Amino acid sequence: MNKFGYSLSPASVINLDNADKIKFKELIDLEPDVLKCMACGSCVSSCSAVNFTNSSLRSAILSLQNGLPEKAYEYLKGCMLCGKCTMICPRGINTRRLIISIFQTYNFKK
Amino acid sequence: MAIKNIVVIGGGPAGLEASAQLHYMGYNVFLIEKNDKLGGHLGKWDRLFPQGIQSEELLNPLIKNTAGVKTFVNTEVVNINKLEKQYNIILSNGITILARAVLFATGFDLFPASKKEEYGYGIYDKVITNADLEIFFRTKSDSRIVNPLKIGFVHCVGSRDEKTGNRQCSKVCCATAVKQACEIKEVFPNAEVICFYMDLRMFGRKYEDLYLTAQKKYGVRFIRGRVSEVGENINHQLIVKAEDTLSSKPLKVTLDLLVLMCGMNNSSEGIKTASLIGLKADEDGFFETLNPMQGSIFSHKKGVFYAGAATGPKTLPETINEGRAAAICINNYIKEEINE
Amino acid sequence: MRERILGGYDNFVLPFMIGIVFIITYLLIGLIRVIIHIPGPDRKKLLLSFVNPSAIYKNIRDIICDCLIHVKIFKRKAILGYMHASIAFGWFMLIVIGHIEVALYVPQRNGVLYYPVFFRYFVKQEGDITLRGAFFFFLMDFFLLLVLSGIGLAMYKRVHSMALGMRRTTKPGFADRLALYCLWAIFPLRLLAESFTAGISGGSFLTKPMNMLFQNFLSDDMHILPTWWAYSVALGLFFIAMPFSRYMHIPTEALLIVLRNAGLKVTKIRKGFAAAEIYSCSSCGLCIDACPMNTQKKNLKYSSVYFIRFLRRNRTKKINKIAEKCLMCGKCVALCPVGVDSCGIKRAQRTTVYNNLKYDYSYLTSVSHNPPTNTNEEKKSSSILYFAGCMTHLTPSIIKSMEKIFESANVDYQFADKDGGVCCGRPLIIAGKADAAKEIINKNTELIKASGCTTIVLSCPICLKVMQEDYNLKGINLIHHTQFINQLINDNKLKLSKTSDSLVYHDPCELGRGCNIYDEPRNIIQNIGELKQAQSEKLESICCGGSIGSLSLTYDDRTKITQNSVNKLLINNPDKIITACPLCLKTFKDQAPVPVEDIALLVAKNIEVA
Repeated sequence: MNKFGYSLSPASVINLDNADKIKFKELIDLEPDVLKCMACGSCVSSCSAVNFTNSSLRSAILSLQNGLPEKAYEYLKGCMLCGKCTMICPRGINTRRLIISIFQTYNFKK
Repeated sequence: MAIKNIVVIGGGPAGLEASAQLHYMGYNVFLIEKNDKLGGHLGKWDRLFPQGIQSEELLNPLIKNTAGVKTFVNTEVVNINKLEKQYNIILSNGITILARAVLFATGFDLFPASKKEEYGYGIYDKVITNADLEIFFRTKSDSRIVNPLKIGFVHCVGSRDEKTGNRQCSKVCCATAVKQACEIKEVFPNAEVICFYMDLRMFGRKYEDLYLTAQKKYGVRFIRGRVSEVGENINHQLIVKAEDTLSSKPLKVTLDLLVLMCGMNNSSEGIKTASLIGLKADEDGFFETLNPMQGSIFSHKKGVFYAGAATGPKTLPETINEGRAAAICINNYIKEEINE
Repeated sequence: MRERILGGYDNFVLPFMIGIVFIITYLLIGLIRVIIHIPGPDRKKLLLSFVNPSAIYKNIRDIICDCLIHVKIFKRKAILGYMHASIAFGWFMLIVIGHIEVALYVPQRNGVLYYPVFFRYFVKQEGDITLRGAFFFFLMDFFLLLVLSGIGLAMYKRVHSMALGMRRTTKPGFADRLALYCLWAIFPLRLLAESFTAGISGGSFLTKPMNMLFQNFLSDDMHILPTWWAYSVALGLFFIAMPFSRYMHIPTEALLIVLRNAGLKVTKIRKGFAAAEIYSCSSCGLCIDACPMNTQKKNLKYSSVYFIRFLRRNRTKKINKIAEKCLMCGKCVALCPVGVDSCGIKRAQRTTVYNNLKYDYSYLTSVSHNPPTNTNEEKKSSSILYFAGCMTHLTPSIIKSMEKIFESANVDYQFADKDGGVCCGRPLIIAGKADAAKEIINKNTELIKASGCTTIVLSCPICLKVMQEDYNLKGINLIHHTQFINQLINDNKLKLSKTSDSLVYHDPCELGRGCNIYDEPRNIIQNIGELKQAQSEKLESICCGGSIGSLSLTYDDRTKITQNSVNKLLINNPDKIITACPLCLKTFKDQAPVPVEDIALLVAKNIEVA
C-alpha cells in the first residue's frame, strides 16, 4: 500500500517553525519599537496611502513575526512616510523609522 | 491620647465609606469635600454596571451612614503641616484641625476629551463623552443627542495612550461602554450601536453577562480597532475612521453620535493637596503607595493613607472596600501609636 | 625710509615662507577639487555670477560683512562680534597697509611674499618722520592694537566662555590647539618684534613707548632677531596647522559665500559645494546651544558641529547616526555665523542610505483630481484651492475653522483633500527618499495644474515649504492660511472682535525659518488679543518636538524637547499658546498646561458677525 497522509496547503497555514527569527532579531536591534505594537490598527485607519492601496504597518509587523517578509513588503510598498501614523500611535512607536528599518533589514532595495 | 481627630479628604464613595466606618469605631471624623455635594463622580452617574443599579441606591446609604461625621462641603485643604505625631490641617473655611491621621480619598479626574483633538470633542456637535451620556440618561436632555440612528462608542480615550501620558488601562471604561451601549439602545431602540475597542476587558463578575446581553439582546456591534480620525460631512454627521483589524481592512462609517470613553487621571486637586506634605504621584500620575501588594492603603508618610481611585483606576465595589480597609488600617495605626 | 638689510633677506623668514607656500598650494588644490565636483549646470551658474555686476557687488558686500566685520555675530552678541571683527578686520588691514608701505617706500621689493610681513625688520628710518610716515606708523600700531584686543578677548573667552553669552563650546583637537596657540602668539610676538626694532625702523603710539620701556632694562639689540624668528615661526606653524584645524574656515568662508550667492546647493555629500560648507565650519559651537535636542546632555554629541567634524574625518557610522537623529528644524543653520547648511548635508547623507529602498506608487496612476463625490458644478469654477494636508486631518479644529473663515469672508473655494489626499512629498525628501518623492511631487503637480486654480491656501507649513521649493507651480500663488487670513483682515473681508486674552505665538520651524513667515500670524493675533513674547522667538524659535525631520529620535526624547519648548513659550504667562502648524498643535496639546490653539481656530472663534 502507498503511504497515506493529508498534505497541508502551505499557503493557508502560518508555520511558525519555519519563520526566520534571525532577521526579525536584526530588525529588533535596529528598531526595538517593533515590539511595542498592540495591533490597534490606528496606523492603518489614519494612513494617507490606504485610500488608494492596501498599506498596513500593523499587518506588516504581523507578517514579519510570522516569517512572511514578502507579504510585509506588499503592505509597506505604498507608504509615503507622511508620518500620520507616528502622530497617532498610542504606543508611541516611531513608525517612520520602523518602516525604513524593515526595508533595510529585509533588503527591500531597488 | 486625647486627640481622636481624623481628616478624610474627598467625599466620594471611598471617603464616605471610610468616614462612616471610622465614625462607627468612635473617632472624631472630619470629611472635607471641595464641591457643594457629597458623592463625587458617583453623584453624576445614572446606573451602575454590571447589574444596572441606580446610583442613588448606592450613594444614599453611603451618605446616610456619615450622619455623625463633621462634613465640610465647598471646602478645600489649604495647608497641611506635620507635627510630631499629628497633622495640622488648615481649611479654606478658616478652620484648623489637629488630626492623628489623614486619609486621601481624592479620587480621579476624567480625562479631558478635547486633548485628543482627532476625535473632535468640542469641535463637532455630535461628539460627547461617557460623562455627558450619564447626565443625558438622568436628565433625558442634551441638545447634541437628537434621535441618533447610528451611534459609536470609542474605548480607551486618554487611556492606554502614551501620547496623553496615560499608559495604563482605565479598567472601568470597557464595562461602562457596554453598559451605556445597552442603555442607549433602550432609549433609541432603532439605533445601530457600534463599540470600537482595542481589547475588551470585561474582567469582573457578571461583566461577561453584560457583554453577552449587549450582543444578544441589543445587537451591539463590536469592532476591534481604534478610531484614529473623525471628520464631518455637510449634514453635520460624523465620519469615523478605524481599522477593522479582524478583517484587516480600513473601515469608514457615518454616525449621528459618537461617545468617547474617557479614562481616569489622578485628581489634579488631589495631587496639589498631597504635594503640601511632599507626597508624589508615580509615573502614571496616580499616588505612589508604600508597596504594591499589602501596602496599597499606605503612603510613604506615617499617618497618611489612601483609598479609592487616587491610587489607580478602580470599580465602585473596589473603591468602597478600600474605604473600609483604610478605616481598619487607620484604627490599627492609632492603636499601635497609643501602645508605644 | 630705506632698506636696512641689503638683499632684503634674512633666514628667519624661512618658517613663514614654508608655511605660506604650503597653505597656498593646499588651498589651490582644494579649490580645484571643489570645482571639479561641482556638477556642470552649477558650474555654469558660478561662471555667470562672475560676470554679473549685481552678483559681484553681492559677493563683495557679503565677504566684507561676514568674513571681515562679522555682522551676523555682532547682531547676536556684540562682544563676540567685536572679538571676531577685531582679529579678522585688523589682520586684514595690517596686510593691506603692509603692502601699501612696501609699494610706497621700497617698490623694488614688490611681490616678495614675506617683505610686507616683516617690513619693519628690513627698513630703517632716516631723518625726521614725515607726516605720511607717521600716518602709516599710526595705522599699523592702531590695527595691531585692535587685533591684540581681540586676541585678549579670545584668551579670556577660553577661560570664561559663559561670560560672552555661550553656554557650550566644542572640544578642540590637536591641530585646533596648535593653530589656536600660534594665533594667540602671532600678534604679541609681532608687537615685541616691532617694539624692539622701533628704535631703528620707527614706530607709533604703541611700539615707540614699548621700545623706550625695553631700552631701560634691555639695552642691546640682541633681542631683535630672536623675536622676529619667533614671530615667523608662529606664523609658519599657524599656516601649516590651518588646514587640519577649525581655522580653515577663514579662507573657505569667502569661497562659500561666492558659491552660495551663485545659487549652488548640496549635491554630493562630502564633495563640491558640500566640501566648501564643511570646511567653512569654524567649530564655534553656536549650534550646540541652538539645537533643541540638547536639553538632554546625552544629545550634545548630535550637534551639527560634530556632524561636520565627523564628515571631515569620514566617519560614516557616526555621520549616519547624527544625520538620522536631526530634527531638521533649521535653527543651527539660521544661527550659524558662517551659514553652513548642515541640514542640507544631512539630507544628502540620508539620501545615500535610503534612496535605494524599494517602493511602489503605481496606485498613483488611478488617482484623479476630480473625485466622484464632487457634484457641485458651480464650485469647480473657483480659483482658490484649500489644501489641508495629511496632518491637518488629525486636527479637525483647523479644518473646521478654515471652512468657517472661507464662509464668513464669502470666499469661493475648493477643498482639495477633504477626503484625504496624496502626501506632499516633503516627508520623503527629508527622509532621503528623493526619487520616491519625485513621483509624488509629479502626481500632485499634475493634479493641481489640472484643477486650474490660481491660489492654493495651505494649512500645513510642511506642504507649503515643499510646494514652494520643489514643485514647479509657476503662476500659482502659494500661501499659508496665516497669510490668507491676514490678507482678509487687511482687505476688510473679515472683522474680528478683540478679547482680553494674552497670547503667545509659536513659530513653527517650517513656517518661520522654512518659509520666512513671521509677521502675518503676529499681526492676526494682535487683532484679537495681547501678544506676549516667548523666550525664543522667530529665527530662534524652538522646535515643538513633533518634527517629522528626525528619523531616530524616540518618543520619550521628543517629549523632553516639547516640554522645554512649552516652558520657553510660557515665560510671560500667556493664557494660550497659538501656533500655525497641525504638527505643532498636536504635539503641544499633549504636553502644555495651558490651552493650545491653531491661529485659524483663534480667528474663527472671534469673527464678528455683521
